[in-house]
Amino acid sequence: MSACLLGEESFRQCCWRFLKLSDRLRDGWSWEPLQGSEEGYMRKTALRSVSVNSGPTWNPHGSRSDKESPASCHCVCRQREQAAATEQADVDGTHDDLDPGYDDGVVSGGGSRVLRLEYHILYSCSYMAPVLYFRASTLEGRSLSLDQVWSCVHPSFRSRLQRSPLTTITQQEHPLLGQPFFMLHPCKTEEFMRPVLQLEREQHGQMNYILTWLSAVGPLVGLDVPLKYSTLQPPASPPEACLQPS
Amino acid sequence: MNPKEVETGRRIASSRSGGWQPKVRPSTKMSDNAESPNEPQKEELHSPPEESMANEEKKKIDVLLKAVGDTPIMKTKKWAVDRSRTVQSLSQFISRFLKLDANEQLFIYVNQSFAPSPDQEVGVLFDCFGSDSKLVLHYCKSQAWG
Repeated sequence: MSACLLGEESFRQCCWRFLKLSDRLRDGWSWEPLQGSEEGYMRKTALRSVSVNSGPTWNPHGSRSDKESPASCHCVCRQREQAAATEQADVDGTHDDLDPGYDDGVVSGGGSRVLRLEYHILYSCSYMAPVLYFRASTLEGRSLSLDQVWSCVHPSFRSRLQRSPLTTITQQEHPLLGQPFFMLHPCKTEEFMRPVLQLEREQHGQMNYILTWLSAVGPLVGLDVPLKYSTLQPPASPPEACLQPS
Repeated sequence: MNPKEVETGRRIASSRSGGWQPKVRPSTKMSDNAESPNEPQKEELHSPPEESMANEEKKKIDVLLKAVGDTPIMKTKKWAVDRSRTVQSLSQFISRFLKLDANEQLFIYVNQSFAPSPDQEVGVLFDCFGSDSKLVLHYCKSQAWG
């Protein structure tokens, strides 16, 4: 059981290896150290174009509401997502069922705008797991509400998340910066990481906990983790200085 | 082998129910109704030349699905999947096939430890990670996030 938890030293080593890959891919992740300590966190800022519609606001509890509120956004960060949903079919003519999420509250038309999404990966001592913090704002600096953030969640996850929203994506104070961020709650991390960690152990693979975890949770928060992370040769071990008993 | 024995062999084979399938049948294609196919998988990969060409045009790749942990194992593990099919679509298919609860989450991993983006096409995954003419994908079920 303890082997499926991530020690703080292992967290740093995995981040180190992850950052080497990120540098090669120019994916924009950086390490933010805490003053005068080895502790720190990883951070990335991404710009994402979303279309804005003036239709009903998406209610995180699963039902549409027509209340007047800021226009909800539909994230079209991968436009193929919609194209795939509407056009995908087996060549023999049978059609794939559309994910119900695609039909929810999406109204085309309206303009588009660019959002700034900021992601932080911190280490949680209590859960012995990485935790993903993120926030979204317009380019003018206005923060987005949780309602609007939902639109960046990949449609395939929306319905599930919306059934239990408060235990999944919550607004929290960033433990280091003291600013409001959204956080993906780490309580289930060990549970969904365990099987793949065990598999990797059986196969004597060399997985990177952070990479595996991030690739799984990324779609929940509109974060793209390119496939190339998995095809590049892993970097060599981190310098000796990092390898201290945890 | 004299022709008579061959003839007998064929007659016996064709009288079996469901156990033997002629090699001209195409690979089990993955549809979305999640019904279990009756045919075994092995024979269907060796399609005759004209079927191979059809497969080429249809651009299907062979996917081998492996369960992780205590996730239920699919009776049919090998599927011929359209290259353009997305990971999300495959995930939905497996979820329905396994009759997962609405609150259960399915993860798909390539290379044993990387979860590809839901919009990733399996054809691209095959190009990157395919070996022995097939793409191995591990799938794992977990309670949902909350």
